[in-house]
Amino acid sequence: MNPLGVAGGVLQAVVIVGGAPLVVGLMRQIRARLEGRAGAGVAQPWRDLRKQLRKQPASPRGTSEIYRSAPVLLVATTLVVAVVAPFVTTASALPAVADLFVVVALLALGTVMIALAGIDTGTAFGGMGASREVTILALVEPTVLVAIFALSVRAGSTNLSAIVGSVLDDPARLVSPASLLAAVALVVVIVAETGRLPVDNPATHLELTMVHEAMVLEYAGPDLALVELGSAMRLSVYLGLLANLFVPWGVATGPGVAALAVGVAAFAVKVTLLAAALALAEVFLAKLRLFRVPELLAGSFLLALLSVTTAYVLV
Amino acid sequence: MGIEMSGLTVQLLDIAAGALLLTAVLVVWRRELSVILRVFALQGVALAGLVAVLASAQRSVELGLVALGLLVLRGVVLPLLVRRSLAGAGPVRRETTPMLNVAASLLAAAALTLLALAVSVPLVALDPSPATRAVPVAVAVVLIGLMVMVTRRHAVSQVVGFLLMDNGITAVAFLTTAGIGLLVEAGIALDVLLVAGVLHVLTGRIRETFGDTDLSALRELHD
Amino acid sequence: MSTLLLLIPLAVPVMAAAMYAAAGWRRPSAPVAVVSAVLCLAAAVLLARLVVDDGPVMVAGLLRVDALSAFMLIVIASVATIVALATPAHLATELAAGRIDRRDARRHAVLVQAFLAAMTLAVLAADLGVVWVAVEATTIVTAFLVGQRRTRAAVEAAWKYVVICSTGIALALLGLVVLNQASAHSGTGAGLDWAALAAGASALDPDVTRLAVLLIVLGFGAKAGLAPLHAWLPDAHSQAPAPVSALMSGVLLSVSFYAILRVKVIADGALGPTFVRVLLLAAALATLLVSASLLIAQRDYKRMLAYSSIEHSGLLALGAAIGGPLASAAVLLHVLGHGLVKSVLFVGAGRILQLTGTSRIDEVGGLAVRRPVLAGCVGLGVLALVGLPPFSLFASEFGIARAGFEASLGWPTALALVLVVVIAAALVGHTGRMLLGAAPEQPLVPCPPARSTTVAMVGGLAACATVGVVAGPLTTLIDAAAAILTGAS
Repeated sequence: MNPLGVAGGVLQAVVIVGGAPLVVGLMRQIRARLEGRAGAGVAQPWRDLRKQLRKQPASPRGTSEIYRSAPVLLVATTLVVAVVAPFVTTASALPAVADLFVVVALLALGTVMIALAGIDTGTAFGGMGASREVTILALVEPTVLVAIFALSVRAGSTNLSAIVGSVLDDPARLVSPASLLAAVALVVVIVAETGRLPVDNPATHLELTMVHEAMVLEYAGPDLALVELGSAMRLSVYLGLLANLFVPWGVATGPGVAALAVGVAAFAVKVTLLAAALALAEVFLAKLRLFRVPELLAGSFLLALLSVTTAYVLV
Repeated sequence: MGIEMSGLTVQLLDIAAGALLLTAVLVVWRRELSVILRVFALQGVALAGLVAVLASAQRSVELGLVALGLLVLRGVVLPLLVRRSLAGAGPVRRETTPMLNVAASLLAAAALTLLALAVSVPLVALDPSPATRAVPVAVAVVLIGLMVMVTRRHAVSQVVGFLLMDNGITAVAFLTTAGIGLLVEAGIALDVLLVAGVLHVLTGRIRETFGDTDLSALRELHD
Repeated sequence: MSTLLLLIPLAVPVMAAAMYAAAGWRRPSAPVAVVSAVLCLAAAVLLARLVVDDGPVMVAGLLRVDALSAFMLIVIASVATIVALATPAHLATELAAGRIDRRDARRHAVLVQAFLAAMTLAVLAADLGVVWVAVEATTIVTAFLVGQRRTRAAVEAAWKYVVICSTGIALALLGLVVLNQASAHSGTGAGLDWAALAAGASALDPDVTRLAVLLIVLGFGAKAGLAPLHAWLPDAHSQAPAPVSALMSGVLLSVSFYAILRVKVIADGALGPTFVRVLLLAAALATLLVSASLLIAQRDYKRMLAYSSIEHSGLLALGAAIGGPLASAAVLLHVLGHGLVKSVLFVGAGRILQLTGTSRIDEVGGLAVRRPVLAGCVGLGVLALVGLPPFSLFASEFGIARAGFEASLGWPTALALVLVVVIAAALVGHTGRMLLGAAPEQPLVPCPPARSTTVAMVGGLAACATVGVVAGPLTTLIDAAAAILTGAS
């Protein structure tokens, strides 16, 4: 545990918790403008959170502790990832936790908790949303693992910091088939995992098509605020991982306030650009029919697998 | 073969091989036949690029000319021919009901890629060089082409599957020993072109006699 | 002199094709095919004598004739002669019935000659790559012959034929590419020249060669009618016009099998005999099983003959798997005998189809009463096919079986013999129902006379019987060719 890692970890947590709602707000604002609406402003998610947090907690009758602990766990797991993964600096507060498998498992844990909470409510929507989410998850998790694993082949380590560091040392390997295929696969699964179009529509409450929203339909007040915050953080974490795995420049590798400041700025710019691109794409995409989703995810899994194959074969 | 390749050449070779595989996957993934044909043309270009990289690595003018020929044949002539079959193939422009649904075929393609990796082990072991390391990728393209042929029902899809196989075989040929003699190479190219022509004519006849190019209608002959 | 002799079987069909393309199919041009076939046969016989006396002949590094190629040339030319004699009557009847027009007849004549030229090239080529190109070319030229009638069934058969054969043969190409890689690293500079590869086989990398041989046997096996890629064969053989079916069944299958034999010699040298033996044995038994199970309840006589061709391909594979001088000689004799008899039977079946208008076994009935000569030929042909003496198929099947038991492959051979007996019973039973019994009410369709067809059928059967009784000078040729197959020369 080195000082840079601790400082970076705290900084990362602050940046992601503070910035994640803004990223969501930015995406909504871009969509609104492109669709000819004025939009609520970039800070609207924060205003929503403030309002929710002031409300009295309420939970449906008959729900168990799972329902009440799920939002906390969602935020907590995401927060751990936000602290350890290489976003602002490659030095990690807990290097052992910055491992590919740990990070993916933590993120999956949050999703599973929310799915369980959806079932726990005992309503039709909760169960339906949970079953859909788990279907998607079953295809998404292996893809994320395999795709990042393909990148780790050359780094010789599954530690995310080591992977990012090795790309910094040798940028030319980014234009290899392995990393290109992995990039495509990761983009697809990140879109699916964060509940964006064309897999899920974050702005809809139309029962036939909901996935994520169906699971959290019963939440209200501070719990809802945590769920919303957790989802926003997950989006930022995934976008940040994608950005740093493929465009790692700017990330702080050595100590120093200046390096950390550059790291924060670079991270903010990268995530903002990716979020803007995603929002832009969403405007032009129609939602995929639900039974076509496995097709999309199977395709991205195949790409990830091919990426590992080529990483091993074409050295 | 003991040809020294610079890092850049190896990288270009890898990208061409990757493009070959990616286009094969996209053919499995997409249902719209016109999209499939565009992807197939791209694969022809990738194949020609692969041979061009090898030609520049070996400083061989002959191989460069072969690359040019491949570009014309597989990037332009064959896609145009199949496009004409599609134009004459009736109203159905999509692979509507493949025998294996798309998600399953994608997973099958993943399995086939691993199989290709396994069967090419002796080939790579015989002569470990950047070019032969890409052989499993080309073998995977052959197997994916075979799968497309077996599981698709539209006549045009089957033709594309056959040509996919052939692209893969050509890639194997050039990645191993840089071709198998100009005469045989020319004969193979001619044969492929003629088979594509024959299938083009037969597609028209199927449309004429069956009123459709869905091959599941071919049930006249059985025991 | 030898160069000229070698070029005749290749050039004469090409010239005949050009002539037909220019002049079309007419009464004066019809005998050209017969002349072409007889010329090829004469050249093949002379070449065989030359090769047996002086060893292999090579031309320009591209073509080579040894005893095996010369023998295959004789088979091709003999079957071509039978078919050429039967074609005029067949086409005349089709034209008279309006099922085809003059353009179709011309195309038929041109494509058949091109087909013969491609098969000749396959057995003459010195390079396995050229062999591949030639075998694939046979698919291309016969595609339109199979689909000639343009009915739904014919179009379907043509599609399946092209798709399955091209796929199979593409696998063979992959195998050749892999073999080429092994050859390039063996340091012998053999390329894909089969003679050089066989000579330097021990230097080939065994793992790579094993992969190559597997693909090649699978690929050329598709074209030779071996399971598992045999599905095109009954469809294509039953839909093609009778003369084309005769050529496809009589020689095309064995030309593809010839490619397997060439590769087998190389594989035996590189891997020892076990690998190819297991491969071919599995293919042979699977093929025989498929054929037997589909023959028992067969209702279509052209399909019946097609499945019988699959059976004989299986027998060839069995003989090749057993190996050794006796089995190899028997395999070659079987190629010749089956080529002669099967072409006679397909020609006869085509005639029956034209006369009765049906290809269903139970709708023919009583042919012996109405057309005794035709029925006699077909009956004798089927008896020859199931391996009754004096026809040569008796000698060859007996030879394969004996060699199998001697080579301690008793169980597979016994299993194969059981299947052969089942098939024989099915064939004889079906044919009996066609030929014997009372004739149905419906009168025969009037057809132009077919004297040359009868000559061809009787001649083919007579040749088969003669070879079965006194092989004569053919023995020397077959022994020399078998020596090549066993790697003894």
